[in-house]
Amino acid sequence: MIEVQSVQKHFSARGALVRAVDGVSFVARDGEITGLLGPNGAGKTTTLRMLYTLMQPDSGRVLVDGIDAAARPDDVRRRLGVLPDARGLYKRLTARENVAYFGRLQGLDESTISTRTAALVAALGMEEFIDRRTEGFSQGQRTKTAIARALVHDPRNVLLDEPTNGLDVMTTRAMRSFLRELRAEGRCVLFSSHVMQEVAALCDRVVVIAHGRVVAQGAPEELRAQTGRASLEDAFVQVIGSEEGLFL
Amino acid sequence: MSAWWVVLRKELTDAFRDRRMVFVALVVMPLAVPLILAAMSSLGMKRQVEQLEGTLELPVIGAGHAPNLIAWLVTQDVKVLPAPTDPAAAVRRQEHDVILRIAPDFAEDWQAGRPAGLEIIFDSSRPLQSGTTVARLRALLGGYDQQVGTLRLIARGVSPTVAQPLRVGERDVATPESGFDLAQQMLPYLLLLLAFIGGMQLAVDATAGERERQSLEPLLATPASREAIISGKILATAAFTLLSLLVTLVMYRVAFMLMPAKHLDASLSVAPDALARLLLVVLPIVLLGASVLTALAAFARSHREAQSYLPLLIFVPMLPTLYLMVAPVKTQAWMLAVPFLGQNQLILRVLRSEPVASQEWALSLGSGLALVALAWWLAARLYHRERLAASG
Repeated sequence: MIEVQSVQKHFSARGALVRAVDGVSFVARDGEITGLLGPNGAGKTTTLRMLYTLMQPDSGRVLVDGIDAAARPDDVRRRLGVLPDARGLYKRLTARENVAYFGRLQGLDESTISTRTAALVAALGMEEFIDRRTEGFSQGQRTKTAIARALVHDPRNVLLDEPTNGLDVMTTRAMRSFLRELRAEGRCVLFSSHVMQEVAALCDRVVVIAHGRVVAQGAPEELRAQTGRASLEDAFVQVIGSEEGLFL
Repeated sequence: MSAWWVVLRKELTDAFRDRRMVFVALVVMPLAVPLILAAMSSLGMKRQVEQLEGTLELPVIGAGHAPNLIAWLVTQDVKVLPAPTDPAAAVRRQEHDVILRIAPDFAEDWQAGRPAGLEIIFDSSRPLQSGTTVARLRALLGGYDQQVGTLRLIARGVSPTVAQPLRVGERDVATPESGFDLAQQMLPYLLLLLAFIGGMQLAVDATAGERERQSLEPLLATPASREAIISGKILATAAFTLLSLLVTLVMYRVAFMLMPAKHLDASLSVAPDALARLLLVVLPIVLLGASVLTALAAFARSHREAQSYLPLLIFVPMLPTLYLMVAPVKTQAWMLAVPFLGQNQLILRVLRSEPVASQEWALSLGSGLALVALAWWLAARLYHRERLAASG
C-alpha cells in the first residue's frame, strides 16, 4: 500500500519558483490498480519520483507499506518495483543480463533470479529476445525488458510511469492484461498516464492531477457522478478545466 | 553479494564488450607509449653518438691567423668551414652549433709567449642540441693548450708537472641504471598521465553515459546505496586502468628487448620486479583518477561536457615534472607525500633500482589514499544531488 500525504515539491528554474507538486494526497491500495491521470506537466512524474525516493518532498510524507520514505529510503525502494519515465537499458548486455543485474542489486541469489526471470519471460512474452543484446530493440521489447528488471524481486508495490507510452496496439493490450495479473496477485499497482481511455479501461481508482494538485479522485463511476457528466471523458475535461494535454 | 561488487562486475563486463574502448586501452596505449619513449631514447642516443664520433663541422673566423692550430684541428677530425658574415646570428638561427673566432693579434701574442685569444661562439640555451659539440670543441682546444704548454716548459728545461699542482681523479658513483636522458624524464609523466586519466572513457561512460542513455534513474530506484554504486564504478574504472598500465609496461619491456642494443639506454628497461613496484607506486593515482573522473562525470551535464575537462586533467600530472625542471632539488621526505610529485620521485627511484624504505612507501601510499577518500566523498556527494538523474 502506498500513502501520499500532502506532498509538496518546488523547483527554481531560472529564478522563477515552479510548484511542480503542490499538496498531493492519495492512497493506492493492495489488490487495486490506481491511475494517476493528468495532462503533461501536471506533476505526475515528480510525484512518482518522490515515491521511489529519487527526490525528497519539501513537505508532506510518503509511506510504503507503512514505512516512511524519508526515514528508510532503502527499505522503501526494496518494496517497490519501478518503471521510471527513463527506461534505458545497457545495450551491450543481453535482456537477461539486464534483468539479472537488477536482481543482484536487489540482493537476490542466482537461482531466485533465474526462476523469477523465467516467470517474467513467460508472463511478458519475451522468449524471442531474452538472450539477445538489447541494442536495436524495438520500443515494445525495451519496455518489456525494463518492466521485467523492475519486477525481478517480486515487489508488493508496482510503480509505472506512462507504461504504454510509444507501444503499439498489441503490446498495449498485452501490457494491460499483465497489469491486471499483477492486481490479481494482490499487488498494489500505481501507474501514471495522460491517456484517459487507458485509465478508464484499467483502473479501480483514479487520481486526477492538474497543476500539481489533486483535482478529483475516486472510482471511474464516482467521478462521473461527481461531475454529472455522462461520459468519463467529459468528466475529466470538467475537473481539469481544459482539454489541453488529455490526448497525445 | 555486496552491491558495489555487483556494480563493479557489471561495469567491467560492459566495458570489455565495448570493442573500441578495449582497443584503445589495451592496444593503442600500450603500443603508443613504448614507441614514443623508444623513439626518443634512440634518437637521443644516436645524436649523441654522431656528435661525439662524427666529423665536427666548425666555421672559423680568422683561420689565417693560426695556421698551425687549424692544421692540428683538421688532424682531430674537424672540418674547418668559412665563417658566416654574422656569426652570432648564425648560431642563434641554429645554422651552426658552434663557431670559433681567432683573434687578429693571435700570431703576435703567440710569438711573444702571451696567452693568444680564441673565442667560442655558442648558444647555452640549447644544451640538448649543441651541448655535446661545444664540449667536444672545448676538450680539443684544452688538449692543444696543454700539449703546447708542456712542450714550452720542456723547451725551457722545466718539468711540466710544475705547472700541474693538482691531480684530479674522478669516480662516478652512479648505478648502471641511473644514467639519465630525456626519455627517462618522460616515462614518469607518461605513466602518471595514463594512471590518472587512462580510465576516462569508462568513468564518463559509467556515469554521464548512463544518465544520457536513461538508465541511471532505474539504477537509483534499486535499494543499492549511491555510495555502493559509485564505489563499484570507481573500482571498475581503476581495475581497467591498472590492466591497461600493466599491458603498457609489459609491451614497453618487450619493445626494449626487441630493439637494437646500440641505440638503447639500458636504464629504461623495466625488470619484472620493478614492474610490480611501479604498479604499486601509481595505485593511489589510479584510484584518484577514477574518483575524480567519476565526480566530474556526475558534475557535468553531459558526456561532452565531461570530456571537455580533459585538457585540464592532462595538465595535472605534468605539474611535478615541470616543478622538478625549474627547481631540480634533492629528494626530500615531504615530497613523497605530495601526490604526483611523490610518485614521480618513486618511479625514478624504482627505475634506478634504488631502495625505497617502508616508511617512504607508507607516506606515499597513505597520503595518496587520503586524497582518494576525499575525491570519493566528493563523488558520493554529487551522486546524492537530485539533479543527477532527474534531468528531464
